Amino acid sequence: MEQVLANGLYLGAQYALIALGLTLIFALMNVLNFAHGQLYVLGGFVTYTIYGQLEMPFVAALFAAAVTLALVGGLMERFLFRTVLKRSVREESTMLLAAGTAFFLDAIILLIFGEKQRGVPKIVDGVFNWDFRLIMPYDRILIGFLAIFAIAAFVLYMQYSKTGRALRALAQDRVAAQLMGVNVDRYSMIGFALGAMLAGVVGGLLVTITGVNSGIGGPISIKAFMMVMIGGAGVISGAIAGGFILGMLESVGLSVLHSYGDITYLMIFASLMVFLSIRPQGLMGKPWG
Amino acid sequence: MSQLLRFTDVELYYDHVYALKGVSIELNEGETVALIGANGAGKSSILRAITGLQGIRKGEIVFDGNRIDRGFGPDAIVKMGIVMVPEGRRVFPFMSVKDNLLMGAFTRTDKGGINATLEMVLGRFPRLKERYTQAAGTMSGGEQQMLVIGRALMAKPKLLLLDEPSLGIAPKLVQDIARSIVAINRDEKVSVLLVEQNSRMALRISHRTYALATGSVALSGESTALLEDERVKSLYLGGEVS
Ligand SMILES: Nc1ncnc2c1ncn2[C@@H]1O[C@H](COP(=O)(O)OP(=O)(O)OP(=O)(O)O)[C@@H](O)[C@H]1O
Ligand SMILES: [Mg+2]
Repeated sequence: MEQVLANGLYLGAQYALIALGLTLIFALMNVLNFAHGQLYVLGGFVTYTIYGQLEMPFVAALFAAAVTLALVGGLMERFLFRTVLKRSVREESTMLLAAGTAFFLDAIILLIFGEKQRGVPKIVDGVFNWDFRLIMPYDRILIGFLAIFAIAAFVLYMQYSKTGRALRALAQDRVAAQLMGVNVDRYSMIGFALGAMLAGVVGGLLVTITGVNSGIGGPISIKAFMMVMIGGAGVISGAIAGGFILGMLESVGLSVLHSYGDITYLMIFASLMVFLSIRPQGLMGKPWG
Repeated sequence: MSQLLRFTDVELYYDHVYALKGVSIELNEGETVALIGANGAGKSSILRAITGLQGIRKGEIVFDGNRIDRGFGPDAIVKMGIVMVPEGRRVFPFMSVKDNLLMGAFTRTDKGGINATLEMVLGRFPRLKERYTQAAGTMSGGEQQMLVIGRALMAKPKLLLLDEPSLGIAPKLVQDIARSIVAINRDEKVSVLLVEQNSRMALRISHRTYALATGSVALSGESTALLEDERVKSLYLGGEVS
């Protein structure tokens, strides 16, 4: 029981961080970023290269992943989404663009980093063992706490910083935000960069536990959509709730349904369908709050 | 009196349909100028042209001696000292009153100055102080109107553009809002360009008024004189009670 809860929390924290990035971009630009999982993979590979290959400190690698992904996100907004959003009148255009970007990034990642599963040396050794009721390697505990710390930092930043306030204003009423002097182009770019950075940070955190490979971008994106749908699109609290719920479901599923084979996600998808037919707007369904 | 805003022969189109066809208006420093007219006359379009939300096809807009009708986005216009309170209020609904007000000061960096303006706004609209941490979207229409006027004042504008502040607000509160506008103009030395369908209120609290009809100025003059003008009485003050 304790074991299942702890695993769920650890996983939920990573997931929540992924969902936050996706929901931020959605709230700001009304774009579902299909390439979010690929950004996660990129973050993993940057960390792998700097920490695993170049043997520099993990903290430096994580920092580099954050900066790289913020840059990639900023460029994506500036040269892809901004141009398409300005010219197109139909929403499908940005969806196609996002899907195309996902395939493009997949190809780039495959080209640069290859198709092999990559892992890195453990960041800390040892296993925490509480009477065999709760067993958890110290590196998982550390990564879990780092993710929770990042979630808290992001929430506080959105709530209390001037930039965070401007991003929330932009998501709630674009025109009114402009009339207060917010430069829509600049802040859309900042928001996109921030969202991509969050995906990259999780990629960098999780590469130390599960490793990374070029094929997991798509599945990560799908998980991110599920979390955002569970919580309600475009809502901070919803993304966090969705992340922890999915993490918990996965953890419970893996221990309870284990004996029936690999059906956890089948069950999760089925319950999500039922849930959404009852509450299509998700748990906290309202615009950005 | 020095001129603060000048509109010369402005033409504005939405696609191929004109909204303004050769409008010229002026506003001097310290003045409250009203724009009245029926639905679709082009009142909001004038404000949208000033703020850079909508480009103009012909003519000139000059503010404080500089042309502002080309190459300035809405954020640049705010920095010059023009702030608009849009039609339909548009508070940030899920933000607290406090955060809404702070958003008003987005272009400012002088912390001390921002706090002083905040004190002034809360003093002028005590209701906002009572609702300080409440989500703006849950307040009444009148309270939201006070909030958006306060939010605009937080930018410390030279020129305040108000688009139908009386729309959808209880008559008793309209009086309060009208008084606040007069007080802001007088005490804070903010010039005001006021768009109103409530013509009587607009004529009473403004120095000068322009009456618009389908994209051009039909009548203009001192508001006190227009209040007695027969044409104005029949066209704009007709069935209204006040
Ligand atoms: N975004 C738009 N697209 C197309 N036409 C528009 C748009 N906005 C306004 N118009 C048209 O331009 C004309 C002037 O509109 P405007 O909003 O300036 O009028 P108004 O005097 O503010 O009216 P109201 O009192 O109803 O607010 C109207 O005929 C209107 O239909
Ligand atoms: Mg209007």
